[in-house]
Amino acid sequence: MIPIPRKSSPDAKRMIDEHKDCIDSMKGVAGNSVLKCATPGDTTTVTGGIHEDFQLNRVLLRMRAQPAKGKLVVVCTEVEKKWRIARLSGIRGVPPEFVTDKVYDNEQDPQHDIFLMRLEEFAETDGFPEHFREGWKRRDDMWTVT
Amino acid sequence: MTWMKITGYADKFSVHPGDTIKFFVNCDGPAEYQAEIVKMIHADTNPRGPGFIEESIKAACDGTYKGMKQEIYSGSYGFVVDKPQFCVESVTLQCWIWPTTPKTHPKYWKHGAQGLVTKWHDGKGYGLFINEEGCVEFRVNDQVITTGAPLRDHAWHFVAASFDAKTGEAILYHEPQIVYALDPEIEPVTKKLATKLAYTPGTPTVIAGYCGALSDAPQAKASVPAGVLIKGHYNGKIDSPRISNRALSRLEIETMKLGAQPGLSERRNSGPTGKLSEAIVASWDFSDGINTLAGKDKGPYLFHATIVNCPTRAMTGYNWEGQVFDWKTAPEQYGAVHFHDDDIDDARWATSFEWTVPKGTSSKFYAAKLTSKDGGEDYIPFWVVPRVGEETAKIAYMVPTISYMAYANEHLANNAGGAELLVYRVPIMQQQNMFLSEHREYGGSIYDTHTDGSGLCLSSRLRPILSIRPKYDHFLAQAPWQYPADLHMIYWLEKKGYEYDIITDEDVTYDGLARLEKYNVIITGSHPEHNSGPQLDALHNYMQRGGRFMYMGADGWYWVHSYHPGYDGLGRGIVTEMRRCESGIRTWRADPGEYYHQGTGELGGMWRFRGRYLHTIAGTGMSSEGFDISTYYSRTPESNDERVAWAFEGITYDEKLGNFGLVGGGAAGTELDIVDTMLGSPPHTLVVATSAGRHTEGYLLVMEDYGFNQQGLDGTQHPRVRSDIAYHETPNGGASFAFSSIAFCGALPWNNGDNNISTLVGNVLNRFMKDGPLPTPSPAAIMHRGRADYDQPMNKARK
Repeated sequence: MIPIPRKSSPDAKRMIDEHKDCIDSMKGVAGNSVLKCATPGDTTTVTGGIHEDFQLNRVLLRMRAQPAKGKLVVVCTEVEKKWRIARLSGIRGVPPEFVTDKVYDNEQDPQHDIFLMRLEEFAETDGFPEHFREGWKRRDDMWTVT
Repeated sequence: MTWMKITGYADKFSVHPGDTIKFFVNCDGPAEYQAEIVKMIHADTNPRGPGFIEESIKAACDGTYKGMKQEIYSGSYGFVVDKPQFCVESVTLQCWIWPTTPKTHPKYWKHGAQGLVTKWHDGKGYGLFINEEGCVEFRVNDQVITTGAPLRDHAWHFVAASFDAKTGEAILYHEPQIVYALDPEIEPVTKKLATKLAYTPGTPTVIAGYCGALSDAPQAKASVPAGVLIKGHYNGKIDSPRISNRALSRLEIETMKLGAQPGLSERRNSGPTGKLSEAIVASWDFSDGINTLAGKDKGPYLFHATIVNCPTRAMTGYNWEGQVFDWKTAPEQYGAVHFHDDDIDDARWATSFEWTVPKGTSSKFYAAKLTSKDGGEDYIPFWVVPRVGEETAKIAYMVPTISYMAYANEHLANNAGGAELLVYRVPIMQQQNMFLSEHREYGGSIYDTHTDGSGLCLSSRLRPILSIRPKYDHFLAQAPWQYPADLHMIYWLEKKGYEYDIITDEDVTYDGLARLEKYNVIITGSHPEHNSGPQLDALHNYMQRGGRFMYMGADGWYWVHSYHPGYDGLGRGIVTEMRRCESGIRTWRADPGEYYHQGTGELGGMWRFRGRYLHTIAGTGMSSEGFDISTYYSRTPESNDERVAWAFEGITYDEKLGNFGLVGGGAAGTELDIVDTMLGSPPHTLVVATSAGRHTEGYLLVMEDYGFNQQGLDGTQHPRVRSDIAYHETPNGGASFAFSSIAFCGALPWNNGDNNISTLVGNVLNRFMKDGPLPTPSPAAIMHRGRADYDQPMNKARK
């Protein structure tokens, strides 16, 4: 499994810059991918990002595979106007809770901030044998499957 | 933050002019709300499109109404109203159980004891329960005994309890049916109780819950029976519950497992033995009447239980042998009902207002718009549909209401961590999702698992369905999906001035070909994935007789659905059922032996595995899905074939088709269909444009198309990860045009409907809507064509 580099490392810095460029280029698209639009807001030609940075691709996959409990999500609080970051409870009936006060004026920026938050929150080597715990026998690991 | 103070639903999806539609509104807070019937034109708020468009039509029901809070009492159970025969002095209870959540998190939405077989309320009566610690518990009035042995989840257990009024002795048995080497023995627990059974009048006998409260509150009328609030909903299966009127010995309990067995003696008394027949109060057999809303009592009193909120039936019982897979063949092995604390079949709210649709009202998308002065807002969509024989246009738009029901109140962004892997970005939740995340009583979609983790296979339309709403972006697309996405097409039809009628899946399912045959062309929704058999029959019959078909989306004709016949008395298409069987894209997977619908008894799963390949309907079928961004199409040489070249008038060969749009930024995206003559595409199908090679890594080939997990299945690699726009003729001057992408219609409103996708769709619709058969193809087009065998260049040399 490919480790998640610490935020201060050169690898992380490269990935952060690439991720931000991609997200910025997606502004205006009704959708989103960590890929760079040749023309901002236009998906006709997309390059870079997950298609060309292998480490960024694998790190994002690990982050995306996190189970629902404690997982960060985006909540649209006013249609087409306001978005915030929240965290899922993982418990049926307990709604997500906002984790920051920051209000975004577009739906793409929170994607990048969540990437930065996860670089801090995720263990570098979760999923390696030394992390084995009993829950792994009951699908309680850091990789959900649908 | 408070989300959605106003929610509501109607008693009908489709309503005929002259008929009345009732609206049920929950207004939680505001003293009053305004209601207005509006015609829906465009539901997408994306600033790059035409924006939200509705039109007031000045209906007689428009006005201000008093706000009233209405509650949904979800959770399934069976009950028998209070009867003196249940008010015994001594008692024995027994059943098999397969619990799914014997122990729940303290913050779980229905944390607490779960009722199994109870006639118990507020410290009076008797009942078998699972307590908060996950152990079996026997209650006699306010006295409790428990084994202290936690129940293993997802395993069968036999449980029984008896109370002897004369001796005061209570015994509780918990006998696991699956025993592993290191499991402790669970001995019967005996305790002397100093109590005499007493009862609160009006307490029903409940299976999978208990009588929590008797209430006069107006909201409580929505419970069944009215005013009796059931609590302690049980999650899991129950098989063969019995109640006897004396304390049976363990041997008698064993014999009583056989249940009422008329036929064991010539006198036909209803018990496994003559003596035990005298003890039976009730002996339920859920294997009889699986397709009904009743739990049959085979005992002498015929205390048939009313089954509320549609639990899952046709479930394998404790005695299922794994030799028979269809409940109709061996119903005795299907005596289990799987109850869930979030099952809901009907919100049963009080009528808030109604509207008699004036004769002559145009057949269109409508909604009851509900607003409060403090900013509360909800829309209750419905459709005015002409009666058969009173069609008003040459074009009909077929609203995929079964698919809307399948996606009803979908919770994936909140429930499923894997949602983010699927969409390749962080999901965005809207107010509807936030409301539903704490209002589990509104029930889930067929994409969700129940709160106990088991698959949700039944969906009712008699509840607020917050996913069928305008201004709602779905996390899958970060754009409209289903209902609001289908209004992209409606906007375009309105903008271009076409006259059209609206019909729904429901209408086609019940009316068959009669519903379709007067129209020159049928237009589908963007994602008609879920279909009944009668509907597919009707579409085939229509195209066979020269009907024209425009398939405006992708991943259509995928899952087998049936309407549950038990709800026919409430109207058409109330509850739809679907089972996710051995293949297909599945958010959950049915357990072995549980593939057959409880309602109709038909085999569920994908139509493909019933021998009805997706590609046979419109010419293309699902190949892949991905949800990050969309792309565009290029024309193929086949688009110049004279059979279809007319569709490209005004479009140059090298144009990028649809490199714009309101779903993913392109016309080819989210879910994609392709031509595959090996899977039912007619061999004469022409692929006129394709998006091959342009999709991202987030797009993956469908699992039913390969048998071995291997690399190379994503959009950057696999040639079948693409969308094909395709055309083929059907007999008698009919034809089908398949646009083969869910994102496709999102391109139509672009630039106010002035774009090359719009030109293409306009060319097709103008030709298809004409009266009479389409022009006959030239004789050169008539030839023998194989399925796997096509005219490869190397074969041409042979000719």
